[in-house]
Amino acid sequence: MALNFFEPATVLHLGEPRGATTRPAQTTIVDELVLARAKAGNEAAFETLYRHFEAPVYTLARRLTRTPHDAEDVLQETFLEVLRSIGRFRGDGSFAGWIRKVTASKALMRLRTQRSRVPEEELSEELADAIAADRNHGVTPIATAPERLDLEAALARLPNTARAVIWLHDVEGYSHDEIAAMVGKTASFSKSQLARAHARLREMLEPTSEGPCT
Amino acid sequence: MHLSLEHLLAVRDGEATADAAGHAASCPECGAEIERLRTIQRGLAALPEDRPEQDFWPGVRAALAAHRNRRHWLAAGWAAAGLAAAFTLTIGVRGGLEAWHEAKLSRETGELVAASQQLEQQLRTYGSAGRVVSGRTAGTIVQIEDRIALVDAQLSRAGSDRVPSQDVLSLWQERVRLLDALVSVQTSRTAYVGL
Repeated sequence: MALNFFEPATVLHLGEPRGATTRPAQTTIVDELVLARAKAGNEAAFETLYRHFEAPVYTLARRLTRTPHDAEDVLQETFLEVLRSIGRFRGDGSFAGWIRKVTASKALMRLRTQRSRVPEEELSEELADAIAADRNHGVTPIATAPERLDLEAALARLPNTARAVIWLHDVEGYSHDEIAAMVGKTASFSKSQLARAHARLREMLEPTSEGPCT
Repeated sequence: MHLSLEHLLAVRDGEATADAAGHAASCPECGAEIERLRTIQRGLAALPEDRPEQDFWPGVRAALAAHRNRRHWLAAGWAAAGLAAAFTLTIGVRGGLEAWHEAKLSRETGELVAASQQLEQQLRTYGSAGRVVSGRTAGTIVQIEDRIALVDAQLSRAGSDRVPSQDVLSLWQERVRLLDALVSVQTSRTAYVGL
């Protein structure tokens, strides 16, 4: 029997996001023997898992954290956690869902640690300054850059919490209740952060327009 | 009166009240705004995957090896025995200042290995079954354990050296320091829950 390591999150499993994910379903079939061997400490099997999940784990970490260096640390911490806990993975949910949750947890923990050192408001001001500097120095305005770069750059400029919430909700498919549990806040907090993220994205992507709705 | 952004998002996600959903269905401007939010969502999901600039598998592989070796070391205690043998060999074969220096490194490393084992023994007395810890404490424990794993990975790579080096000594110093921190966290937790 083969395991589908990238089951869409619409197939509900314990420990996975309950909402419908918007990420295109990637299908990678890996024989469950690989998982069994990895659990037994087989290095080749563990490398197979690492190679399969390196990019998705790094991408999620990159979206949630501030810098490539942070994402690299989260990547390593995630696989150390997988190494430590794989024996306890029972297979009652998809392995991909489990590893995504470990990654998100590690990334959010890193954001919490950083927040205790640098208040997020300060970071936001730094980012606002950076955006203003871009505009004042004739760098290509965000709104006229290619669309994909626009959105990616705008996402990177969101405050930490808002960026994490919009990614976990809109892309990974986690519900507000699940995000609330992950960040130690309420579902209302998650909803307001999502709205804040979209409002900021609008400001950055369409700086001169005003939305019809307030 | 148009819908707020939170209500628009709720409509987009199928979680809105009947009133909000009804308004969105009849208001072209709010409908267009919801479509714009869907476009953003699709755009985010379509962002390309990233890959790290360097391959981190060698480090993870070393941690895997260290993970296996750590259990072995704990059971057999070979590290202390090996270092004791290295100490004897060093004194017996070599002379002069260099030998003295190497012997000193061996002795100090041996002491750190013994201290490390003692701390691990102490940690085992706390056990892991049924642990109840706060999120913050659990995070601290995981971070310390991750750092220990990385030190173990480096020790594993340096394991082929017959004579302890200053680098190995520093790694064992770091390991003892981290284990000591872990014991402190566990002690505080145990005292806190009154175990």
